[in-house]
Amino acid sequence: MERREFLKLSAAAALAAPLARPAIAQTPTTVRWWYHFDNPQNSPAALVAKFEQENPGIKIQAEAIPWGGGNDYQTRLFAALVAGNGPDAAMVRLSWAARFAAMKALEPLDAMINGWAGRSDISDNVWKINKGADGKQYYLPLQYVVIYLYYRQDLFQQAGLQPPKTFDEFLAAAKALTKGDVAGFGMRGGAGGFDNWGPFVLGGGASFEKGGMVSEKALAANRWYVGLAREAKVTPASAPTDSFRQIVDAFKAGRTAMIMHHVGSSNEIVGALGDKVSAVPVPRAADGQGWTYFGDESNAVFSASKAKEAAFKWIAFLSTAENNNELNKLTGQLPITTSGAAQWTGHPKRFVEASSASLPIARSLPDHPKTPDFIARIWPTNMQRALNGEISPDDMMKAIEQHFNG
Amino acid sequence: MRSQSGGGTPPPPNRKLFLTTAAYHRPSRWTPFWFLAPALAIKAAVVVVPAAQTIWLSLQDYLLYEPDAATFVGLGNFRAILRDEVFWISLGHSAVWIIGVVGLQFLLGLVAALLLNQSFWWRGAARALVVVPWALPSVIIGLMWTWMYDFNVGVLNDMLVRIGIIDAPIAWLARPDLALAAIMAALIWQGFPFFAITILAGLQTIPSELYEAAEIDGANRRQMLWHITLPSIADVIATALLLRTIWVANSLDVILVMTGGGPGYATHTLPLYAFVRAYNSMEFGYAAALALVLTLLLLTVVWLYVRRASRDLDR
Repeated sequence: MERREFLKLSAAAALAAPLARPAIAQTPTTVRWWYHFDNPQNSPAALVAKFEQENPGIKIQAEAIPWGGGNDYQTRLFAALVAGNGPDAAMVRLSWAARFAAMKALEPLDAMINGWAGRSDISDNVWKINKGADGKQYYLPLQYVVIYLYYRQDLFQQAGLQPPKTFDEFLAAAKALTKGDVAGFGMRGGAGGFDNWGPFVLGGGASFEKGGMVSEKALAANRWYVGLAREAKVTPASAPTDSFRQIVDAFKAGRTAMIMHHVGSSNEIVGALGDKVSAVPVPRAADGQGWTYFGDESNAVFSASKAKEAAFKWIAFLSTAENNNELNKLTGQLPITTSGAAQWTGHPKRFVEASSASLPIARSLPDHPKTPDFIARIWPTNMQRALNGEISPDDMMKAIEQHFNG
Repeated sequence: MRSQSGGGTPPPPNRKLFLTTAAYHRPSRWTPFWFLAPALAIKAAVVVVPAAQTIWLSLQDYLLYEPDAATFVGLGNFRAILRDEVFWISLGHSAVWIIGVVGLQFLLGLVAALLLNQSFWWRGAARALVVVPWALPSVIIGLMWTWMYDFNVGVLNDMLVRIGIIDAPIAWLARPDLALAAIMAALIWQGFPFFAITILAGLQTIPSELYEAAEIDGANRRQMLWHITLPSIADVIATALLLRTIWVANSLDVILVMTGGGPGYATHTLPLYAFVRAYNSMEFGYAAALALVLTLLLLTVVWLYVRRASRDLDR
């Protein structure tokens, strides 16, 4: 290279460098994040603004995706991932983990989580529940709910009853409280009702292992559960198709004495019933075994993302105590951090306590690619047919066994 | 165009240029296709390609969450459909659904149109009001009727109990013997204005002389309806029936909102079943095969419609 040429190039480079450098710095990394809140009017805008102020190089594009009982959100997410147009990060459920694993869609977060200061503020138990089948950590926990039993304190007192601790006590109370227009138990047989069925049938001895749905104990537990509607008749006639809205509205209207749901509906129910309502953990089997649904919600970063580190910064921000509490005010669920939970005032105390008292028996559904189909199709159709007497309770259990274990 | 360069004019000096220009101006037999090309391209993009893709999907065992593990199974999905109990249940419900909904929408629409064709002082308002159900989005209709049917707080049960027709509320949407009929009632209510408006438009084209002549001949109202009104609007009715059959056969939104196909399979129709297999189970191959079976069944109706439409064009 000629000296003159070298000088020219150097000069050009020197001129170009200051022009180029700010240009790169000025282009912020954009993180597309998919979320869903039960109340679509709630917006995470304040959290986004706070994060962007703390992280000037990162822009968050938060996209609200309709939940549709979980199906809409899930299908859109998988379709977007297959089409190569998925977000960088999204709110996800444990029951989808096996499907994500089949697609190799998620980025392992172990290294980033180990270097994150907020790690120790989330209990080891929660980390354990959220671990991937291969031992890696793909999910960063965000919030949780646990199914417990809402009951009408006033009606229980009038009838001289204590909140039920066992299945037998539950049935006795339901029978005693079924009078006239009031049904003892507002059973959820429609969409999402597996979380009403689980405490009695999975808690009563059924399992998702091979043969676990058709063991004598499992079949007996399911017969007992179906019998609540068909023999004991302690449920409303609409139970086979009643879903979240119907069970909550009927409970609020005083048409049922007990329902099973989580803390997410407590403010609404207290708004209608005030001190007349309280909650306890779901009843257990005679042998002391119990099961209740751990309704998890985490964030995950997708392996196709080009902004993985920025995406992790954002989801870590959301799972940090103070921000996590702000987020839970929007979602109506419970904070995932230990320090955040200690300061939590988003729900009346008795419901938060019922949630934490339920944790020892709280489980998620199996990490299996067929779990979402179980929730959305296999469980409701077979449960409803059994409740309406179109098939026997045993046939229902055989269908579930067939679904998971062929 | 050729005549412009003919007519005894001596050939221009540059013959090559002349030929090119003439060829340029001569309408080739491809010219019409060039004009059609944009429309055809759009049609290909939005109809032909997705349809071909659906056919291709139906020949595969394709799970949305395992796109790389898709295997070609030939007609395997179709063989599985024939053995699938839920398919036959859904097919039966589809038949009841189409015949019941379209038939009753038509009858109700015909009666409404005949009434709206009479003169009365608030006819304008009545004609506007009858369109309301048709103008509402299906999801709203579904939600509205779900609440009307609600077991605990629904207005229907409340009214029937108050009047004394029933003693206790009925779980309309939770009983397998009532659920399909209950949803059909909602859809009949939504769709009858289409028939009412279409038939009303047809009625207004019937010359009044025909009725006057019939009256002079001593015909009564029933005879006029049977021998003048119905034959005059037969074409309108046939087209409306065919169109509505296609729409109703495909519609699943109201069912999805009201029962999601339940209780059990009580309100499963073919499009709903295909939807459930695609979106709940993510079995896109199987769902595509189900959708194709529905398409093949509907093609008979579409064929009748197209034949009718082209006959009208030829007139």
